[in-house]
Amino acid sequence: MNAGQSTRASLRSGYGLLSPSLLLLLVIFLAPLALMLPMSFKPYIAGQGIGTGFTLEHFVKALTDDYYLEIAGRTLMLGGIVTSLCLVIGYPLAFFLARTRSRLRSWLILLVIFPLLLNLVVRTFGWIALLANRGLINDALITLGLIATPIKLLFNFTGLLIGLTHIFLPFMVLVLMAAIEHLPRDVEDAARSLGAGWLVTFWKVTLPLSLPGIVSGSILVFVLTVSALVTPRLLGGPTYKVMSTLIFEQFLQLLNWPLGSALAFLLTLVSVILIAGSSALARRAGAAA
Amino acid sequence: MSGLRLDELTKRYGEITAVDRLTLEIGEGQLLALVGPSGCGKTTVLRMVAGLIEPDGGRVNLGGADITDTPVHKRNLGLVFQSYALFPHMSVNDNVAFGLQRRGVRGATLDAQVSRALAMVRLDGLGLRKPRELSGGQQQRVALARAIAISPQVLLLDEPLSNLDATLREEMRAEIRRLQQELRITALFVTHDQAEALTMADRIAVLNGGRLEQIGSPEDVYRRPANAFVASFVGRANFITETLAVRPEDLSVVAAAPDDAQSRPVRVLVAAFAGAAIHYTLALDDGRELRAHVPPDGRVFRPGEAAHVAWAKEDAVELPSSGARGS
Repeated sequence: MNAGQSTRASLRSGYGLLSPSLLLLLVIFLAPLALMLPMSFKPYIAGQGIGTGFTLEHFVKALTDDYYLEIAGRTLMLGGIVTSLCLVIGYPLAFFLARTRSRLRSWLILLVIFPLLLNLVVRTFGWIALLANRGLINDALITLGLIATPIKLLFNFTGLLIGLTHIFLPFMVLVLMAAIEHLPRDVEDAARSLGAGWLVTFWKVTLPLSLPGIVSGSILVFVLTVSALVTPRLLGGPTYKVMSTLIFEQFLQLLNWPLGSALAFLLTLVSVILIAGSSALARRAGAAA
Repeated sequence: MSGLRLDELTKRYGEITAVDRLTLEIGEGQLLALVGPSGCGKTTVLRMVAGLIEPDGGRVNLGGADITDTPVHKRNLGLVFQSYALFPHMSVNDNVAFGLQRRGVRGATLDAQVSRALAMVRLDGLGLRKPRELSGGQQQRVALARAIAISPQVLLLDEPLSNLDATLREEMRAEIRRLQQELRITALFVTHDQAEALTMADRIAVLNGGRLEQIGSPEDVYRRPANAFVASFVGRANFITETLAVRPEDLSVVAAAPDDAQSRPVRVLVAAFAGAAIHYTLALDDGRELRAHVPPDGRVFRPGEAAHVAWAKEDAVELPSSGARGS
């Protein structure tokens, strides 16, 4: 067998191994996306539903109407802040878990994963019980005399921020932990032997080398946040909307599928652009590492 | 005065004593090779000197100052790792500059010192490359340049050549030794390769099970091993009897027992031609096997032939019984 044949053969078996997952992606991801795009160009006639013909009105509406722009801005802002919070809270935790030699390590990791083992709705109702106007937190603060009237923690940005950060923190911690565990310790020792204290070593060596992990953890949390539906629906209530709840409403309550498709397509597009951008960043950081 | 002195240095891991009251001294500008089988505690010693491991007992004294409690980044030492441990996200220049920058060197002085360090390891012109764009040997040179750039009081080398192929390893042996002598820098070299230790070091310390077995010049350790462990770890030793050892190159293989030398009858098991010598594997009457490296100019014996091994009395070393010390 010559080299060309063996390359072709290994390429063929590579595709063979990939085909189940490729097929799945094609059916559950690309096909709906391909169906959604033509839908978004159809007119919507109130009372009748989807008309025939071609229109850009949904995209124009989504990109110019203040109402939609505000929700889009809010969603991206939420994604950005939740990601940052998960990073700030998650990095020290992941660092500790990756480096500790404590016998409790596996229990601590279990504790990090624990929120994921709870039902999403149960977990969210837990937050409602805590954050509501007559909830545990406000009651406690009033009893202690720290505040006179309840602080609004629910059905607004704060509520979503708290709920989403809590849910997606484990993802960030797990990704960062894996990245930090694989950092070569010799390199840090080398930095210290050259006169770098703990802080300088961290800033100049550990942090830059864990950048690929930071980027992939951030992409994951960002995408999960902007596409989260149940938590924003429950913690945001019916009036405080984000993109996913807006799309949900267009599809299932207003039956305006064309506008829903346009919004969904735009959200997907923004996510893909952000993922592609940060992957390129991660590749550069990874290539440097 | 820039020598390094270890005083009763001890490290325990639970029940196991990794380093047991090790006392040794490296004179200023000398290279001491710390050799021993894997797990003998040699790397632990180096890491304690570096400050990366805290000793359970004993002191480390560098250039007259007790540095036992000094944190790593305040000890002025150059560390070279087996894994190179270069900063992968920095260019070669930035790698070498790292330690200098920590010492406040900036601007043109920094550039000059980085270039000088790279020139010393013959890597001029590669400063803008990333470590991954260099070969293993070049990476190890960068690591060396990075370590010497800060003019450390002592250079610590932890198996620096183990990841290199055989040819490169010999080249780097000479390179490290040249650099160390040019800079007159005190150096501690940890290796499991006794040949490396013999060719490079001013003095050799043989470590076994965390204890110092012998310390001396390469010739001392090779010619006058203190015990059976040292004799068989550093070079190859033939035990003619339980306690009498002769090096393979000091044995000759002859047809008849000579009058003027010690000898024993043997049977030839293997005769292998190795270029500069013939390597014989021989069996004594009691079944003990010997190795003899003989110049290929005399008579060549075939496997199965009977012969005699002979050696000069002064080449044989009488050693304390090998049962006296552990493993």
